[in-house]
Amino acid sequence: MSAAGLRAEVESFLYDYAACLNEERFAEWPDFFDERECVYEILSRENRDLNLPAPIMGCYSHGMVRDRVAMLVKGTLTYRHMYLLHQVSNVRAVREPDGSIRAAAGLVVHQSSEEGVPSLYIVGRYQARLRSVAGGFRIVKMEVILDSFGIDTMLAVPL
Amino acid sequence: MEHTASGPALPAGRWPNPDFSRVPYEVFTSPEVYQREMQRIFRGPVWNYLCMEIEIPAEGDYVSTWIGETSVVASRAAEGSIHAFENSCAHRGAKIVSKVRGKARRHTCPYHLWTYSLEGELIGVPLEKGVQGKGGMPPCFDKRAHGLNRLRVATFGGLVFASFSEAAPPIEDWLGPHSRSQIERLLVQRKPKVLGYLRQRIPGNWKLYNENVRDPYHGSLLHLFQVSFRLQQPTMRGGIKLDADLKNTWNHSIVTEQNDRDQQAVASAYEGTGKFQPDLTMADPALTRVPLDLGDGYKTTILSMFPTLIVAQVDNTYAIRHLRPKGPDLVELHITYLGFESDTEQQTRDKLLTVNFIGPSGYISLEDGEALRLVQEGIRHRRPGDFEILEMGGVGEIRDTDYLSQEISIRGFWSYYCRIMDFPVAPGPAA
Repeated sequence: MSAAGLRAEVESFLYDYAACLNEERFAEWPDFFDERECVYEILSRENRDLNLPAPIMGCYSHGMVRDRVAMLVKGTLTYRHMYLLHQVSNVRAVREPDGSIRAAAGLVVHQSSEEGVPSLYIVGRYQARLRSVAGGFRIVKMEVILDSFGIDTMLAVPL
Repeated sequence: MEHTASGPALPAGRWPNPDFSRVPYEVFTSPEVYQREMQRIFRGPVWNYLCMEIEIPAEGDYVSTWIGETSVVASRAAEGSIHAFENSCAHRGAKIVSKVRGKARRHTCPYHLWTYSLEGELIGVPLEKGVQGKGGMPPCFDKRAHGLNRLRVATFGGLVFASFSEAAPPIEDWLGPHSRSQIERLLVQRKPKVLGYLRQRIPGNWKLYNENVRDPYHGSLLHLFQVSFRLQQPTMRGGIKLDADLKNTWNHSIVTEQNDRDQQAVASAYEGTGKFQPDLTMADPALTRVPLDLGDGYKTTILSMFPTLIVAQVDNTYAIRHLRPKGPDLVELHITYLGFESDTEQQTRDKLLTVNFIGPSGYISLEDGEALRLVQEGIRHRRPGDFEILEMGGVGEIRDTDYLSQEISIRGFWSYYCRIMDFPVAPGPAA
């Protein structure tokens, strides 16, 4: 597959991922991850630049990924509901010798209140390792690295 | 440091009652009250947390932080000494240090390159003697008289504090016996190391967070996660202990064998709320199975120290929380997340997992941010003279308890707050 073709496929995958979150289909979010092994981390740029290991959020198995959205799915979490728009841009993708795909993209999340007032919520980027499967990809590792690590109020919904 | 005049007191005139079981909402919203806090508290006779000693281990290391809304630099100089100064040039006031942390041999203002030592003394003024005999500073200009605004510094248990005021008592007295012994337990018996920083900007007044951490009543009610996985329950044993000023609280809960009777009590405490779900399970419960490092049975230890420092052990997480007010209705919660030099690889991995309990996306703590936001939204336009009610656990005397469903320690906070703010209190039986 050409580099442009691979990028288009990865772009399409990340758009589907963003749509799942934007449309609040939280129960489907774990389906984007590899069931056998996966890591999902939200990291602050501050810690990363200092070589400090603590994530803001970290899931180290498919079960942990499912647990992250379990309370959202059940509706038992007390959090500020906002309409979120995840915008993915600057997509790059490279196929590695082992067949996996290394992908990177920019992320901007806008939030709008229940009364329709918008503000900027998150600025960051994705760094992902993907595995090809029939008809698409699965996330083996996803790092969401935030420039906007001074989190507005809370981070209840994954990025 | 002198205080501003006894000046405008509470908009409502005085505190509504002497046991502090009522709190006028205007203390969370009034810009005048907020400005008075900046003077009377943060520049007053208190000790403000700056950083940990381990963050500035070597000569030249510095961190910039905040006391109230004042930018302050903590600097390590020769022979291990620690200094603190306002981050504002003596010349024309420009901010000198822009980075959050770093290492420097001296600090130089970018504007006219006035240069300061690691102790905050003015050591260089470019063109001080002019050019070819012309210009320059007048002969009477004395660099020694124009250092940065320096603060008093004190350390305890690896924590660095600073004060603008000569009237702040010795740090040991300020902290009180319970904070001292628990700091020893949490931060001294093992050497800590920083695993990372977490920052959360909560749209609520900084004192709402002080109430939140002194309030074990909410812990098992707001936080379903905590209850469902038995991190804290209404039936759990624990209590609070206050210092002599009533301003600092140690609250703690203790591991006990939960039995069926307890679970029934929990279920009845939650009846009708729709929140308690005894059937909630985790697909991967590794997070809730991390053992406690310390074999002393404490499930939570929250040290809340006036005005803006919290040292917290929540389950097997250890963290310093520092409040940085950004106006009457916004506070940054800055968390220094800790491991220990003696931790095994497994213990470090466990701590990178349990960080999911705390911080802006913490299973437990994220709901606190929301609770504070809801209070600030809710009180914005309450009528003057309206107040919150703090009666859980009893009214009247402010004292230690051996139970958790209480708001007494919040009343302790307000009693000290009123003293330092010099607010008149309505007469009545003394607290």
